[in-house]
Amino acid sequence: MVQFLQQLINGLSIGSVYALMAVGYSLVYSIMNFSNFAHGGVIMLGAYFGFFSLTLLKLPFVAAFLLASVGTLAVAIIVERIAYKPLRERKAPFLYFIISAMGASILLENIVIATIGPTFRTYPEVFSKVPITLGPLAIGRLDLIIFAISAVCLTLLIFFIEKTKIGKAIQAASYNVKACALMGVNTDRVILTVFGLGGFLAGVAGVFFGMKYTVYPQIGNITTKSFIAAVFGGLGSLPGAVLGSVILGTIETFVAGYLSSQFRDLIAFVILIAVLVLRPTGIMGKVTEDKA
Amino acid sequence: MLAGINMIAVLGLSLLTGFTGLFSFGHAGFMAIGAYVGAWISASPASTPAGLGLPFILAIVGGGAAAGIVSYFIGRISLNLKGDYFCIATLGFGEAIRLIFNNVNRFGGARGWPGVPGRSTFLVILIADVIAILFLANLVKSRHGRNMIAVREEELAAQIAGINVFRYKMISLIISAVYAGVAGVFFAHYMTFIQPKMFSLTKSTELTIIVIFGGLGSISGSVLGALVLTALPELLRAFEIWRLVFYGAAVILIMVSRPKGLMGGMELTPSGIRKALAERNALREAKTKLLADAQSGEED
Amino acid sequence: MAPILSIRNLTKKFGGLTAVGDVSFDVPEGSIVGLIGPNGAGKTTIFNLITGVYKPTSGAIEFRGKSILGLEPYRIADMGITRTFQNIRLFKNLTVFENVLTACHMNASYSFAEAILRLPRFRTQEKALVAKAENLLEIMGLMGYRDLVANNLPYGLQRRLEIVRALALNPVLLLLDEPAAGMNPDETEQLMRLIGCIRNDFSLSVLVIEHHMDLIMGVCEHIVVLNFGEKIAEGIADEVSRSPQVIEAYLGTSLEAADA
Repeated sequence: MVQFLQQLINGLSIGSVYALMAVGYSLVYSIMNFSNFAHGGVIMLGAYFGFFSLTLLKLPFVAAFLLASVGTLAVAIIVERIAYKPLRERKAPFLYFIISAMGASILLENIVIATIGPTFRTYPEVFSKVPITLGPLAIGRLDLIIFAISAVCLTLLIFFIEKTKIGKAIQAASYNVKACALMGVNTDRVILTVFGLGGFLAGVAGVFFGMKYTVYPQIGNITTKSFIAAVFGGLGSLPGAVLGSVILGTIETFVAGYLSSQFRDLIAFVILIAVLVLRPTGIMGKVTEDKA
Repeated sequence: MLAGINMIAVLGLSLLTGFTGLFSFGHAGFMAIGAYVGAWISASPASTPAGLGLPFILAIVGGGAAAGIVSYFIGRISLNLKGDYFCIATLGFGEAIRLIFNNVNRFGGARGWPGVPGRSTFLVILIADVIAILFLANLVKSRHGRNMIAVREEELAAQIAGINVFRYKMISLIISAVYAGVAGVFFAHYMTFIQPKMFSLTKSTELTIIVIFGGLGSISGSVLGALVLTALPELLRAFEIWRLVFYGAAVILIMVSRPKGLMGGMELTPSGIRKALAERNALREAKTKLLADAQSGEED
Repeated sequence: MAPILSIRNLTKKFGGLTAVGDVSFDVPEGSIVGLIGPNGAGKTTIFNLITGVYKPTSGAIEFRGKSILGLEPYRIADMGITRTFQNIRLFKNLTVFENVLTACHMNASYSFAEAILRLPRFRTQEKALVAKAENLLEIMGLMGYRDLVANNLPYGLQRRLEIVRALALNPVLLLLDEPAAGMNPDETEQLMRLIGCIRNDFSLSVLVIEHHMDLIMGVCEHIVVLNFGEKIAEGIADEVSRSPQVIEAYLGTSLEAADA
């Protein structure tokens, strides 16, 4: 029983990191109808920004954290401007966006390899590694903090989307961008906001990921899993992305704990295929069809 | 040489993406299947891991067939999905295949398989390339090829025109998988060493990028694309670590400025050039005709 | 004469919305039947049901006496029903010739292997396909645009090309979805004559959805009127234009023009 709870907590922790990443994917997908594969690269940069803020710039944690997230916000917006905006203007088919996203992802990953180098970096210890004991359970401080901050961020995000004016614009745009523009919504600004939000959260996720594991240029690949979580929860649905991520993170951890860590990565793909076959729109996704 | 190997995979993918309109991010997975099955067939029983020690030609056939068979099952599951979900599915399968090979210790697992005989000579690859090109060209210039193009252009209209869309998508997928598998066999016998991480998402993306760079719907485009994009970085070997950086930047650049690719759907053959010229003439004639009509209308 | 198409109690619901509700009518063999009704009445949905794009919620569709429910669209096309689309769905990046040539595919039977190995059967059949495509283009007056990319065709000719493409499939029943949309009176007149001609020359039956009343009244022998997914009237042109339900559905505007 103890092991079960232990694994559960682990799973929730990694799940919440996935959730931060997945939400970025879902946001972009809901508005632009394509899967932003460059997101992984942005998350990776977040991990690096945080790392260098702590080690080189010797900033206190909170400052480093914010700097990293603002940094990724900027990167996400830059990627949008260069790689997607021209395609939008030319009304390119969505598959071109995916290719461009892939290109951006390869670019980001390899710029880091070429400049900083592929060696793994470890974050300095910010929080004590001594776990908090709750009876027989040992909960890592870091896990707790990750879970807490993620929960706060996600709640703020959902609040933002539901209650603010631009949040409502985002919701509207997720159904029909053109109609939105016709209604006088500045769709360009909506898109910028979406990328900005996703980018910021990517930074948070990246820093947490780096703290929990290590920092290396291929982090972007791990985020394929958060993408799977977004699909699982339903591309285009934020609560779905969160739900999918948490469930995926938990399942993964259990599989790794009880079966074998070799299967941990594989299970994510098994889930993906199961979702695509049984219910492609995911747990909470939207269903759209075009008129014949 | 490597370009010749890539070319086979690219040609196969070109059929699926360029002509049938389905994008795949998992074809490195088919290459992996071909590579491992092919290596298993031809590696001598004395090497580690052990192989069957059979002739090279069997390895080629076996590798290609294995990839084709797997693609059939993948196709059954995923071809019914909408556009971007199909992409995601191929991505998932490609990575899943790589992970499976990572975990199969019999084939060396993540450390790889070092004992593959070096059978891929320049001549062999050249012959394979020629066969691959002819096969594809003849397929495309037939009603079957045209049906695939129809699926790419307007799937609903193709259905109504009596084209069994699912069947053609499946055939296109299987052929592209076989090509990728065969390319994988040649790859294994060229490098004499294979490792799952050689067949990653990045490789799948590279293949798709080459197809787009050459121009969707153009065989000569795919051929040229494979040559240029594989050979060029080889020449710039000194800048190895920057190679992928330029790749990524180049992809974005292409998508943003000239997504039609190098050939833009045209073929670099006598008939292809004639066709392109005929189209251009027809357009010019139509424009002058419209202009003349408009002017005579104004004169009234 | 038995009807070539027979629709009985056809119903299609999308969730809570009944797009088509208990519709029944026949298309007599060799006739031109018009399907009219205000926008959203369910006309295109019926086309989609006939061609197998949608599966009906309930009801029966019989073509030449055999049920075609549940068949895949390509099977139904094989059996002899083809259609054009409201928003033109040509193979836009292919030339006029290629559009028609592609559609001729059912007239050949060579396999993949025969095509790849360029065996004699491929060669002879391919030549026949090319001849058939060129013949069709010639008859329909589009040969002059043979090598023009379909997207660059003037609008009216694009619609004509779609009809030619449909004819390449050797149809027995042709479904035209708003073929006169966007055409001026002259072009509509030409289209009317064209429809009558192809019905005679190709021995077809035709079911037309249209809003252009002059075309419907001028060329249809029989008219079915839908509103909100239900059939509200049926009969020959005169009867229908005088039916109170139809006048009510249309508020009299287009029918006055037909009377004039």
